[in-house]
Amino acid sequence: MERRKFLQILGKGFFVSSFSGVFPTAAFGKTAFDYALEGQNFLQNGAYHKAIEVLLKAVEMDSESDWAYGLLGRSYRALHKEAEAVDAFRKAVRLNPEDVYSRMMIEMITQKPVPRLQKETEPLTPLEIKARKEEADILASLESDEELTYKVKRVVIDAGHGGFDSGAVGRNGLKEKDVTLDLARMLHQKIENEGKIKPFLTRTDDYYVPLSDRTTIANQFQADLFISIHVNASKNRSAQGSETYYCSETASNREAARVASLENSVLKYDEPIKAKEGYIDIEEILFRFEQRLNWKESGVFASTFQKRIEEKLPLKSRGVNAANFFVLRRARMPSILLEIGFISNSDDEFRLGQRTFRQRIVDSVAWGL
Amino acid sequence: MDQRKRLSMIAMCMWIYMMFAACFFFMLQHYNAHAADINDIIFKGADYHYKGALDEAIASFQEAARLDPNNEFVHNQLGLLYAKKERNDDAFREFSTVVKIDRRNIFALLWIGILYLKQSNMDRAFETFHEITVIDPNNADAYYFIGSIYNFRRNPVKAIEYLKKARDADSDEADTHYRLGRAFHNVDMINNAYLEYNKAVELKPTYTKAINEIGWIYYNQGNYDAAISEWEKTLSINPKDEDAISNLARAYNEIAFLALSNENTAHAVAYWNKTLSIMPNNKAAQYYLKQYQK
Repeated sequence: MERRKFLQILGKGFFVSSFSGVFPTAAFGKTAFDYALEGQNFLQNGAYHKAIEVLLKAVEMDSESDWAYGLLGRSYRALHKEAEAVDAFRKAVRLNPEDVYSRMMIEMITQKPVPRLQKETEPLTPLEIKARKEEADILASLESDEELTYKVKRVVIDAGHGGFDSGAVGRNGLKEKDVTLDLARMLHQKIENEGKIKPFLTRTDDYYVPLSDRTTIANQFQADLFISIHVNASKNRSAQGSETYYCSETASNREAARVASLENSVLKYDEPIKAKEGYIDIEEILFRFEQRLNWKESGVFASTFQKRIEEKLPLKSRGVNAANFFVLRRARMPSILLEIGFISNSDDEFRLGQRTFRQRIVDSVAWGL
Repeated sequence: MDQRKRLSMIAMCMWIYMMFAACFFFMLQHYNAHAADINDIIFKGADYHYKGALDEAIASFQEAARLDPNNEFVHNQLGLLYAKKERNDDAFREFSTVVKIDRRNIFALLWIGILYLKQSNMDRAFETFHEITVIDPNNADAYYFIGSIYNFRRNPVKAIEYLKKARDADSDEADTHYRLGRAFHNVDMINNAYLEYNKAVELKPTYTKAINEIGWIYYNQGNYDAAISEWEKTLSINPKDEDAISNLARAYNEIAFLALSNENTAHAVAYWNKTLSIMPNNKAAQYYLKQYQK
């Protein structure tokens, strides 16, 4: 593009302002346009203070004039008032996104530190006063450190299946939904008694909670960790032991993919967000970053829980696996799925029916936390 | 002033304005032998860039970098353009070149930090953003990223500290208010969370993530109607918002169960139907409707 054309774009702000048709009239008959024009002349002659004075009048009368804001930015820039210049250029660009010059100026100036622009403080609203008091009361009582280690203060415990959905059923009639509910309740009780972490349940009784609801509940309570408790089943009745799953984009092996497809009764994944060329979405970068951090952290939690279960329980360890579980995918926090034993195996079914064995499972999971 | 006079005055002003803008820009840049050429090229590059012609912009800035290898703005623009083209290694190289020229170039440092985030290198990203706050204690962006990282690590106290700094440095960013709201929400500081979410929505009325969280505040206080109204607001903005759909489905089912426990089957059925209207595959609503719908 020729410089002339570029300058025409710069001039566009002028056209927008001048042909808008409405020029609020000042007390002495001067319009916003007149002031801006005067400002331009002062600026051209190096009378920057005077330029600012009249340009401020112009933008006060016509707050939609990107032309006046652009001139104001230039005037401030000439006086090395960088913060004010950036503020004016930003307003110009907001009003006219095609103002290439103002955009370029913002990017040039903000390459280096710019002092903060002092803004007038407004009186606090009643809610703000209430919020300040709340902050003083609660924030001071909370402990904190500078480290970036993951901290769990709220955990949502999800008892798999429920209501009309029994889950897997053992040869002797033991139902997965009953085992998971009992384990979840016991774990909830234990964590609550210990008082260090706040526990929440996705269901408190024998009713069905849809898959989407389970992570919704975790999001509802701003949980830091989501634990979904399940009992495995297989056509091969000799299969036994415990394994822990966590969410990952790809399954760690074919068996993990099979289990995920069993648990995923509703398969409605988010469409992968395609990167648009020419546009960088910072929030999308942060979202992906958070998701990867959570998945990584989920892997750490899964390994820890599996290790504790291995150490404390007479169950064969089937290790840790990654798969794309719907129930875990929508969670905004690290999340794991415990498959504790095989209800299809008569030994495991017998153990899972024992209250003392369930207590040992709960102790192991709580210890893992 | 008659119309003709006015138009001729406008034309004259436009000419002066254009000349003035051009002169002013040239005065800002202090180049030696190739000053005019470089300015032309930078103009061209910036114009291509802002218009989305990335390849042409890259070519212009590459030419400018060849003529003036120490021009920080040129390297930063190249870095940004490469980042937009997902050429992250090239972007990193350009921003690193700027930092070698001047360690205080916070624009380059900020983008290096963002590229570290893209690589999931949390520690290096954190260090880089922290370095920016030492150079520029008013840098809202650096505080925002640090606060966000603390939020992701579930350290709400530090998240609140840094996101408040980001908010105080630039209160016009809806994202800052939203993430600060999340940090407050995480420690049950509901008044503060509510305030920040609302500020986010005030700045950006289509900020559905903040609207959804306001819904949860109402819901957890037992105000189901207000919660539903918030999530319905989200759906009016984005009918496919999965969070709002899930939240509404949960609320409708909950109300249906409450109605059923009060032996108001008709009310329960109405709400399960509402669930299915927004989430047709909701197994709970499907099952109970079959049981109770006559």
